[in-house]
Amino acid sequence: MRRGVSRREFLKLSGAGIAGATLLGGCKDLASGFKSASTAGPNTLVLTKGPDTSGTLQKAIDTFNKEDHPFTVKWEVASADTGLYFDKMRTQFQVGGGEADVIGADVIWPAQFAANEWIEDLSDRFTEEMQSDFLASTIETSMYQGKIYGVPWYSDAGLLYYRKDLLDKANFQPPKTWEEMLMQARKIQADEGLKYGFTFQGAEYEGGVCNQCEYIWNAGGDVLAEDDPSKVLIGEEGAVLGYKTAQDNVLSGVATVASATYKELESLTPFIQGDAVFNRNWPFGYSIATGGKAAGSSLKPEWVGVAHLPTTNPDDEGFACLGGWDFCINAFSDKKDEAWEFIQWMIRPEIQKTFAIDAGFLPPRKSLFEDKKLLKEQPVMELAKSSFASTRPRPSVNPFYSDMSLDMAQSFNDTIKGDVTPEEATAELDKKLSRIASAAENVFNVGE
Amino acid sequence: MSVASETGLRKRQQTGVVSGAWRSIRGEFTDPEKRTAYWMILPTLLVVLLIAAGPILYAIYLSFWRVLPNGQTFIWLDNYVTLFTDSGFWGAAINTVVFTVASVGLEFALGLTIAVVLNRGFVGQGAARAIAIVPWAFPTVVSGIMWRLMYTDQVGIFAYLADQLGLVTGPILANSTAVLLGAVVSDVWKTTPFVALLLLAGLQVIPGDVYEAARVDGATKWQQFTKVTMPLLKPAILVALLFRTLDAWRVYDLFWSMTDRQLDSLSVYTYKFVRISQLNLSVGNAAAVLVFLSSLAIAFGFIKLLGTRAQEA
Amino acid sequence: MNKGFKTPAHAIGFYTVVLIFAFLTLFPLLWVLKMSLVSDTELFASPPTFWPESVTLKSLTAGKCPLVGGIKFPCPENFQTVFIDPIFRAGLANTLVIAGITTIICLTIGSMAAYALARIEFFARRPVLSLVLAISFFPAVAIIAPLFLQFQKAGLINTYWAVIIPDVLFALPLTVYLLVAYFRELPEDLEDAAKVDGANIWQAFFRVTVPLSIPGIVTTGLLTFIYAWNEFLFANTLTLDQQAQPATVVIPQFATTYTTDYGAQAAAALVLTLPLVILVLFFQRKIVSGLTAGATKG
Repeated sequence: MRRGVSRREFLKLSGAGIAGATLLGGCKDLASGFKSASTAGPNTLVLTKGPDTSGTLQKAIDTFNKEDHPFTVKWEVASADTGLYFDKMRTQFQVGGGEADVIGADVIWPAQFAANEWIEDLSDRFTEEMQSDFLASTIETSMYQGKIYGVPWYSDAGLLYYRKDLLDKANFQPPKTWEEMLMQARKIQADEGLKYGFTFQGAEYEGGVCNQCEYIWNAGGDVLAEDDPSKVLIGEEGAVLGYKTAQDNVLSGVATVASATYKELESLTPFIQGDAVFNRNWPFGYSIATGGKAAGSSLKPEWVGVAHLPTTNPDDEGFACLGGWDFCINAFSDKKDEAWEFIQWMIRPEIQKTFAIDAGFLPPRKSLFEDKKLLKEQPVMELAKSSFASTRPRPSVNPFYSDMSLDMAQSFNDTIKGDVTPEEATAELDKKLSRIASAAENVFNVGE
Repeated sequence: MSVASETGLRKRQQTGVVSGAWRSIRGEFTDPEKRTAYWMILPTLLVVLLIAAGPILYAIYLSFWRVLPNGQTFIWLDNYVTLFTDSGFWGAAINTVVFTVASVGLEFALGLTIAVVLNRGFVGQGAARAIAIVPWAFPTVVSGIMWRLMYTDQVGIFAYLADQLGLVTGPILANSTAVLLGAVVSDVWKTTPFVALLLLAGLQVIPGDVYEAARVDGATKWQQFTKVTMPLLKPAILVALLFRTLDAWRVYDLFWSMTDRQLDSLSVYTYKFVRISQLNLSVGNAAAVLVFLSSLAIAFGFIKLLGTRAQEA
Repeated sequence: MNKGFKTPAHAIGFYTVVLIFAFLTLFPLLWVLKMSLVSDTELFASPPTFWPESVTLKSLTAGKCPLVGGIKFPCPENFQTVFIDPIFRAGLANTLVIAGITTIICLTIGSMAAYALARIEFFARRPVLSLVLAISFFPAVAIIAPLFLQFQKAGLINTYWAVIIPDVLFALPLTVYLLVAYFRELPEDLEDAAKVDGANIWQAFFRVTVPLSIPGIVTTGLLTFIYAWNEFLFANTLTLDQQAQPATVVIPQFATTYTTDYGAQAAAALVLTLPLVILVLFFQRKIVSGLTAGATKG
């Protein structure tokens, strides 16, 4: 049975391997994988950011590079999974900063990076006068201990998508409270035979935390005290009520319990396939839902409505969770002035407009929400104006936010699956967050 | 004989033993053949000591400290106390135990059945064997992602089938128990053929005349199986169980991808603490030490059962 | 044909069991293939379709895959997505380099150790064998944090070495054990003859044992290669970008911020696994005998 492999075959095999690696790599320089060395030239500024399928970012960089600047910009494509991207960035900083000069950073990152002195304090460059045109929440989330570390690039807000045609038919106005939404969804589901009343993102990930925060805020609660990030409020009445509302939405059967496994795409799919009445999602969903067959939607554009997220009590103030991305400058970079020049260029109103129209990256600039042409091109901006005006950042001012987020996501996910009661979940989470908050107080002097 | 002379004798014997040991140690290095043997194992030994022993000692050391971005303090066993009072740790431990017992049990039962059925020459045996190792060669992370998709409530084929057959109510992935079972099923898919092949190889070295003898003695098929096959197959079974149990106990890739980090095994739990959390590095190292010790204990238990055979492999 | 079946019914029953087993084994793989070929609309159809309805000759050739040099081959669209993605291509090349070097290192140092352990009676033989065996029971997560800190200091993060070094550690026990078993089966006469001719142990090892053991070394190498090809935990932790990260780390990233491209993930999974499937089918006898060596000779 020792039908052996001859030495020649063995050599052939290794030869094929080497040839394969070279072919596959194509332009890639395999030798670079053996050492950790910079590949960027002295006149190249490196931007890191996840992929952009619209191609707008690459086009903007090309435009910048064609203009007369003393340096060119190169985009290093980072992971599309924000959590993975964050882990890699943190690793990069821990091992000496990496190559990126400008970092496209999720709005929840600046405080964590700033606390470790990984990103540059921009207070002298990004003046208060410049800040004044940006949504307050986007500035707030870029601040750490009174200094600003990030420049808002584009923004997201949690919205309630609804089937305008079906609500009109049933003679309903978009719901103001969750209870109203349940009532409307039940009625429409029964009349039209729809499978889902409401879908949202309840999976154990950062998007779940956004949904969680909205439920809490819109029931009058909060995670941390606004004026004192060392004070945990998750065990208080408002937060518990928010948890209850979320659990009720699921227990009522209107929101499918599968929402506990949904991220953005999974929760949007039933809506655009015409199987759901309501969906909580970000503005990106609008162009898909109104994009017809090509975008995978079976809805007519005029059937898609956008409203402010409901609240628990009719007199509660309604908030939307702020998402989106900032520019930060790597503290280890030796091209900080160039980095700032590029950032200033990227946040020019006309560039932000291009991003809004071509990529659906909605601008954080208040003035652009009044721009007639832009509102016509991106109707969701008009529809979501009030939601953007009422955006709030997650409690990411805490430099241990990634620890908080792990615990928050798990607690919320367990609650909507029905594994724990809102009281138990919030009490448990209160303990965990208090431990983190006191660690933050000790390590970084966060708090009063 | 006096007591004094007795102790004197013992002493002389002891020095004899010591100098004998010394002579044999020196002999290890003066004998050119043995010296070469040490040179030959040196690289392997260095890899094992530097990359396994060094880091695990460092992990043990770290598990007695509280490590934070602003410094570290020695806290004795506090990290272990934190760990034992964390419900998440016990959840991960229970998941791991259930996963290990269920998947190894099923893989063994199915694998043995398949091995017994296939233990005969038949047309297409080569093809059957080739098919059997394809799932084994499929990267676990990737197969985890694919299985997750097959369990999703909207497009998942298995969710759809389970729903049609009335096996589940509600979405599989929203139910922690169902997700755990799902992980067991995908592991059974991936590794049963592997177990079957191991056992089949064990069956094929049992000489035919043993059965002949049993048949002459009037043993039924079932008696032949329990009295002849099983005892002779015992070493193969133990080796297969040892490797499968430890793989299942240390499971990481499958839980990471198939449960989308929503269900913790001990390894995933440890990983979240040491690499994702910024506060719990040292608690995570305590968990790492426990995973290490428990794996060691399992291996030790099996090797005791195996006797010295593993040593001689 | 009827190889010792008592009745045709026995044969039918037997082959039915075999076919069920084969079907259950292959079904998930066929499903992945289906996912990689159907349109996005069909991929998200609820309830799922059993037969790929949207697959036509046209859809199978809708894309253009650049495979070798500048030549492009018609292929399904998801495969085009995968093949034109520079990160995935780099990932495949990195996988090949990492798995290849891991295999070479393991075989080099593992075969020397195995030879000493199989042929020479020395005091440390048993303890070393036990130590190497213990490594195969070692949990990877137990050392990930210390390893990260060490590699960070040594500047190895995001290089091939960061993955190769732990891969070598975890593949070595298998290498050593299989080769010890293999060398023990080789007759010693030829080595002895070489030694009589004045060769020392190294020469006997390199000139006599290694050439005679090529089949065993290839089998062992294949198993090591497959292990390193599929490794994920270390690669995901210790590499950062296309400079060094292998394909297993890239595949989960076929996505945008809010959406996941499952079709492309399925296609990428098949592309990554295809070389292994070919290897496995080509060498299946050897791989199975290698895998089962421990169980039968144990």
